Amino acid sequence: MASLETKLLAEHYDKPEFQKLDGYKKHGGYAVLPKALKMEPKAIIDEVKASGLRGRGGAGFPTGMKWSFLPANGEPRYLLCNADEGEPGTFKDRLMMERAPHQLIEGMIISAFAIGSKKSYIYIRGEYDYSKAVVKAAIDEAYKAGYLGKNILGSGFDHDMDIYSGAGAYICGEETGMISSLEGLKGQPKLKPPFPAVQGYLRKPTIVNNVETLAAVKYIIRDGAAAYKKYGTEKSPGTKLFSVSGNVVKPGNYEVPLGISLKDIIFTVCGGLKPGRKLKAVIPGGSSAPVLTADEAMRATMDYECLAQMGSMLGSGAIVVIDDSNSMVDLLQVIMHFYHHESCGQCTPCREGTGWLSKILHDIASGHAESKDIDLVKKISEQMMGKTICALSDAAAMPAISFVTKFRDEFEQHLAKASTGSAVHA
Amino acid sequence: MPKLKINGKEVEVPQGSTIIQAFKAAGTDICHYCWHPGLSVAGVCRLCMVQIEGMPKLQIACNTEVKEGMVVNNTSEVVQETVRWGLDFHLINHPLDCPICDQAGECGLQDQYMRFGKYDPEMAEPKVKKHKVIDLGPTVVLDSERCILCSRCVRFTDEVSKTNELGIFNRGDHSEIGTTPGKPLDNNYTLNTVDICPVGALTSKDFRFRQRVWYLKEAESICPGCSTGCNVSVHYNEEGVWRVKPRENKDVNGYWMCDVGRDTYKFVNVKTRLLGGKLGKRDSWQFVDAADAARSAGLKLRETVEKHGPDSVALVVTGQYTNEEYQDLFKFFVIQLKSKNIFHWQNNPEKFNDFDGILYRGDHNPNTKGLEAALGTAGVKGRWEDLQSQLGGRKIKTVLVAGPENQVSFPDLQEKIKLLSQAESLIWMTAGNSALLDQVGCETWQIPLKTYIEKSGSFTNFQGKVQSFKMGTTIVPQAFTISEAMELFSGRDLSWNTRPRGLGGPKVNYSVGQRGAL
Repeated sequence: MASLETKLLAEHYDKPEFQKLDGYKKHGGYAVLPKALKMEPKAIIDEVKASGLRGRGGAGFPTGMKWSFLPANGEPRYLLCNADEGEPGTFKDRLMMERAPHQLIEGMIISAFAIGSKKSYIYIRGEYDYSKAVVKAAIDEAYKAGYLGKNILGSGFDHDMDIYSGAGAYICGEETGMISSLEGLKGQPKLKPPFPAVQGYLRKPTIVNNVETLAAVKYIIRDGAAAYKKYGTEKSPGTKLFSVSGNVVKPGNYEVPLGISLKDIIFTVCGGLKPGRKLKAVIPGGSSAPVLTADEAMRATMDYECLAQMGSMLGSGAIVVIDDSNSMVDLLQVIMHFYHHESCGQCTPCREGTGWLSKILHDIASGHAESKDIDLVKKISEQMMGKTICALSDAAAMPAISFVTKFRDEFEQHLAKASTGSAVHA
Repeated sequence: MPKLKINGKEVEVPQGSTIIQAFKAAGTDICHYCWHPGLSVAGVCRLCMVQIEGMPKLQIACNTEVKEGMVVNNTSEVVQETVRWGLDFHLINHPLDCPICDQAGECGLQDQYMRFGKYDPEMAEPKVKKHKVIDLGPTVVLDSERCILCSRCVRFTDEVSKTNELGIFNRGDHSEIGTTPGKPLDNNYTLNTVDICPVGALTSKDFRFRQRVWYLKEAESICPGCSTGCNVSVHYNEEGVWRVKPRENKDVNGYWMCDVGRDTYKFVNVKTRLLGGKLGKRDSWQFVDAADAARSAGLKLRETVEKHGPDSVALVVTGQYTNEEYQDLFKFFVIQLKSKNIFHWQNNPEKFNDFDGILYRGDHNPNTKGLEAALGTAGVKGRWEDLQSQLGGRKIKTVLVAGPENQVSFPDLQEKIKLLSQAESLIWMTAGNSALLDQVGCETWQIPLKTYIEKSGSFTNFQGKVQSFKMGTTIVPQAFTISEAMELFSGRDLSWNTRPRGLGGPKVNYSVGQRGAL
């Protein structure tokens, strides 16, 4: 029942020709750009503000408001597209770049025009070789067609665009970590303040937006804020691409309006669980989002406010569906191994805390732990929350706290089984 | 000037100050590692957390600017709990090797744990293993397991020495400080990294394993290594001086000093010193009490003047002594002997204006400015060529020399000894024992002088800033200041309070003075 899907951005993703300039233009590509270039930059920013578009990368910060933090004057200023899609469970940006690179480029040119930036970079995740090739080729096409470079479409607006890649580090998806990496430094987040909008790339004003956010700008300008707001809820307007993975029949990327129920996504859009399986838990917004129990998942709607109310978050829109064939202990161990591996090591609570958690969870998983270690996991995690430069520490702590709190019984049973000599996997 | 409240106490700080600066200004305790007043803010140790009224989350004091009317505390339960945990995070992978760690006694971890920590550790898992005894360069050794990655040393080589040898390699809890291949930590400021290292990760090859710091006393002094006059503290015990560290003076040296300056303790210790008076010449030295040597040297000068007139004596003086000593020296020479035959011995005049852009200057004397002023007051302008010709013409019979205190910075020592020993008699006042001087062919008095750590006085640095310092310890009991020597030279006795005092007599100090190996 595909009717729940609302294809705004993803309308033509199924057409291979959409990847190339000609195919893209055939389906209305680069038709919004001339319109935008005739608008006042401020009018574009106002339209984006009016649309209520919120950052699609994870934090959900209102895009128009972020843009308005830029100082009124000051050249140069930079636009960075965050395509360092690293949140475990998320794979929508890759799809967008590989199927519709020009959609992103057009959205970026419009956004750059709005904020007065003459140079932008698309920072693509190190492992995304194919995405890099596709986006690079599309940028070349756009230059040849006069959509990039000097005096775009006779508007007098100049803009250059390039791609950049690190070596594939999760932390480079954090906007100041990305800026460090782009500057040629080790990918480590920078102390804030100053915020990137004031002092970012090369200490110049910089706006960092996610792939999906920038692509959406095109549709807001095309149809107007009011039309865009028809999708979604009042506080979470628009559509969103969700990457659904885990124990569902049809995992994949789905574009749906925000505010749709999680139950519909799992059981209608994705074809439900495999036969005979029972839903145990859902991670609604990438590995860093606190896990929902099956009960909570059935009540959740996929918008910023409902998930926040449930103590979790929409994040990057990565839904990981977990059925009763999985061990929560194993899952948390894997998640913690990831964050331990990806901590940049700057801030002590994160550097030491992620390692410590990873070790304890390994001990729990292999049965060499006691019940009080489960409490310790929670205590350590609580002390890692909100204590560091960036949110990686919180990203590690949140799943840890939610797993051991909501699935305490399973952790206890696991340890009990281990002490009685029953089989323990890990 | 914004006002804020720190733990209920009102404090006023300059515009643009951070909260941690306000804490320091108020003299209020705050836990921190990575923040250092002489370096940029890193904000990574996360220990200087404070609670600010009206802000939901705790903030780091080092990166938060003070705003008018702020109400800040670091005494609430939530802050204290955070700091305790912050310390725990620092310590979980830190080795418990304090008994064999050189930093023990002056360790940030020990100090802060005793003040802010005191919790029961809960870490049962094995600690992260890292590299130990890493040779970073000629002066510094690294123990990565002890390192808490505060990044002070990295920021120092980036911002102060601007040599960028150090970096943090790898990620997460595998991060380690290190150097890139072929580029060791080798500049004139390396040992500052050891000073600012809050733990025992960076240790000085020169000092490590030599002393437990709690046995050392400190004296505030001025570095005699060059005309900058860095403010230093000298660390000593009854065996001698073991190291020199910088002392904060924003107008002169900030928080730093150079590695050359740190070596100045080496000519102070007993092994390199002239311990008593010495009379005679090559192959026929007679060891006498220093006071007797001084009395007879004074007599010799006075007799020469009586017999041959004031122009038959000469005074050769280096820029290594205090303003007070110059005054007494010139008083004796100009007023009592009525001679204006005074000559300024410059060790490397062509390099006097060199400067490395940080602290180290080409004038390797602490008090050239002071000497010049004293020469001006005495109305003396002795030209070196005149000395040479008068020595050659045998006009000068007796030469009094206030020689180098630090012989290392006088590459022309041998040449000058050769020149001056053309006189009939040579009276050489010196702190150090000199094999070159022992080869003189003329009748010679060697009179032991005190070094900068053994006397009080003042040096005038290159800026014309007069900086006083106080006596720390006595290493050679028989040695004099020039002022004391001049009393004896004049035929007077030393009054009780200027008599040299010993601290339990000298002990032979075997290790100081040799650079340690790894």
